[in-house]
Amino acid sequence: MKIVVCIKQVPATGADKRYADDLRLDRAGVEAIINPLDEYAIEQALRLVDDGSVESVTYLSMGPEQASEALRRALAMGGDDAVLVTDPALAGADEWGTAKVLAAALDKLAPDVALMGMASDDARGSLVPGAVAAMRNLPLLSYGAELNVADGAARVRRLSATGYDWLSAPLPLVATVTDQVGEPRYASLKGIMAAKRKPMQTWSLSDIGLSADDLHGAALTRVTDTRAPEEKPPTERIENLPAAEAATKIADWLTTRKLI
Amino acid sequence: MSNDILFLAEFTGGSPARSALELATGAAELASQSGGSAVALAYGPGAADGAAALGAHGATRAIVLGDDDRPAIAYAAAVVSAARDGGLALLAPATPNGRDVAAVLVGTLDLPAFGPVRAARFSEGTIETEQATLQGSVITTSCPVDGAATPSVVLVLANTFTPNEGGSGSAEVSQAPAAEDLAFTQVTVAESHEADAKVVNLEEATIIVAGGRGVASEDGFGPLRELASALGGAVGASRAAADAGWIPYQLQIGQTGKVVKPSLYIGAGISGAIQHRVGMQTAEHVVAINKDPDAPIGEFADLFVVGDLFQIIPALTDEIRRRKGT
Ligand SMILES: Cc1cc2nc3c(=O)[nH]c(=O)nc-3n(C[C@H](O)[C@H](O)[C@H](O)COP(=O)(O)OP(=O)(O)OC[C@H]3O[C@@H](n4cnc5c(N)ncnc54)[C@H](O)[C@@H]3O)c2cc1C
Ligand SMILES: Nc1ncnc2c1ncn2[C@@H]1O[C@H](COP(=O)(O)O)[C@@H](O)[C@H]1O
Repeated sequence: MKIVVCIKQVPATGADKRYADDLRLDRAGVEAIINPLDEYAIEQALRLVDDGSVESVTYLSMGPEQASEALRRALAMGGDDAVLVTDPALAGADEWGTAKVLAAALDKLAPDVALMGMASDDARGSLVPGAVAAMRNLPLLSYGAELNVADGAARVRRLSATGYDWLSAPLPLVATVTDQVGEPRYASLKGIMAAKRKPMQTWSLSDIGLSADDLHGAALTRVTDTRAPEEKPPTERIENLPAAEAATKIADWLTTRKLI
Repeated sequence: MSNDILFLAEFTGGSPARSALELATGAAELASQSGGSAVALAYGPGAADGAAALGAHGATRAIVLGDDDRPAIAYAAAVVSAARDGGLALLAPATPNGRDVAAVLVGTLDLPAFGPVRAARFSEGTIETEQATLQGSVITTSCPVDGAATPSVVLVLANTFTPNEGGSGSAEVSQAPAAEDLAFTQVTVAESHEADAKVVNLEEATIIVAGGRGVASEDGFGPLRELASALGGAVGASRAAADAGWIPYQLQIGQTGKVVKPSLYIGAGISGAIQHRVGMQTAEHVVAINKDPDAPIGEFADLFVVGDLFQIIPALTDEIRRRKGT
């Protein structure tokens, strides 16, 4: 049983980010991390190794050369090897373009489970995993609070509006997990040392059988404009008042806005 | 290629989700700009009987994809077939189910995807969407590249459109074309469980009283429940409160919880971390109660009350009950 975990390198949460003049995200000078939600996917995969239901874990990322740092960090947590798909033609890839590339790389790696985070921090589309599944015509088990694999099938526990379900589908498939799978482990010093010797390959587009022409400039969407959000009225504050008086003021505020 | 605007209309427990009504109205708005009709792709328990009534909210036609409670993703094959027949755009709710179906469409038919968007319109025959990015600090406008296939797939945030109420129209209902044989149909519900405590669907709530680590215990949510019931609203929580086991995870708001857009959100004992904020920042009115005058939530709340939630919330509940005469 083999798992490939797809991880994306993203700018650190809360870092100061901006759009460059060409309307692409300017990533220069911003600390880069593993997409926090992908760390949960890594943790889930490693737990399946720990309990003996999975033999090997490979990490896959599409991104610039620097994304190899994210792969190295993942390898320090555990797992066996890593693949970076990088190509000048991929700059500015949207979710469709990203999915196209990951799907082609996954065809080559042929895992039983391609495991992903539930969303990337910088896009919040949560579209890549389902698009990858569709491109490979495989089932998708998404938003798992827990994932297990046995007897040629995988199951995820997924919260519903008012409870939870166990969803099931036959392998091979694509799955995503949430932050409920358990806190990601830290890389130990030993892990960091070991990671340096783990194999990492770099693939270009032609290595996965794609050409820049297949990719329409890696995106089917384009940003045409950016602007600041509408100014919000400044925050009103209620401070240093006894509770009953504060309550009256809040109630007045709500009444003015027809909320009570 | 038709100028129609398709939308996903999810039904649960016999009735349409609020998103179905919102998207019916949104699709009708866009269809009037594109020169086509609003077409519902209705699925889930109650869809067969309820689809026609979407006409009251703006749908001209409704295609019933199925009426049972298989997982939303298993309906994706039918959505793909319907989308092959045409349409300029397809609106999907920015919920886990909506995203799953939207993603499958994007991957199967190589379609441009947008979202989650806070506004959409047609400009010179092309869809144009608005999205808040970089933690809400930038609004971007996007459109498909030249030559991109249709329909454009648009994930729509809750409450982007306000459902038209009281319309008398009835959508013309038809059955779905045969679903294609895609792998998604192999996803099944192996087991289904209700939560121990009774939980409401927060995505549908118009008033939410949310508690965080400051609520300090399971019992600490008592006063928040009282306030919610006085206001006619629901109780929600931060991840810290859900992680502590004080409240079920189904009520967590944020990046990995529910994305809510009520008319009123009251946060008590919540600091306003970015991951919480992305789940509630589009609420129409945000009130925060926090004893720390420098809590980050004070920077984006409309009304920031500095004080102890255990004193202020009961006093507020009394005051509201007094005013409502209940
Ligand atoms: C990948 C990832 C995903 C995440 N997803 C989510 C998510 O979906 N939703 C989410 O909420 N968080 C999420 N988080 C966690 C988030 O980063 C914060 O840790 C969390 O939101 C903090 O919850 P809190 O505000 O309740 O607690 P704290 O940050 O500890 O704040 C508690 C607040 O209560 C105030 N307080 C204490 N006592 C009182 C009192 N008596 N009266 C009034 N005020 C009082 C304090 O002043 C403080 O401001 C995620 C984190 C990660 C890494
Ligand atoms: N460039 C990428 N390289 C590897 N995995 C990715 C990449 N982009 C997205 N993913 C995976 O897809 C998931 C969802 O991303 P998104 O659809 O962008 O929200 C992420 O959590 C990753 O697991």
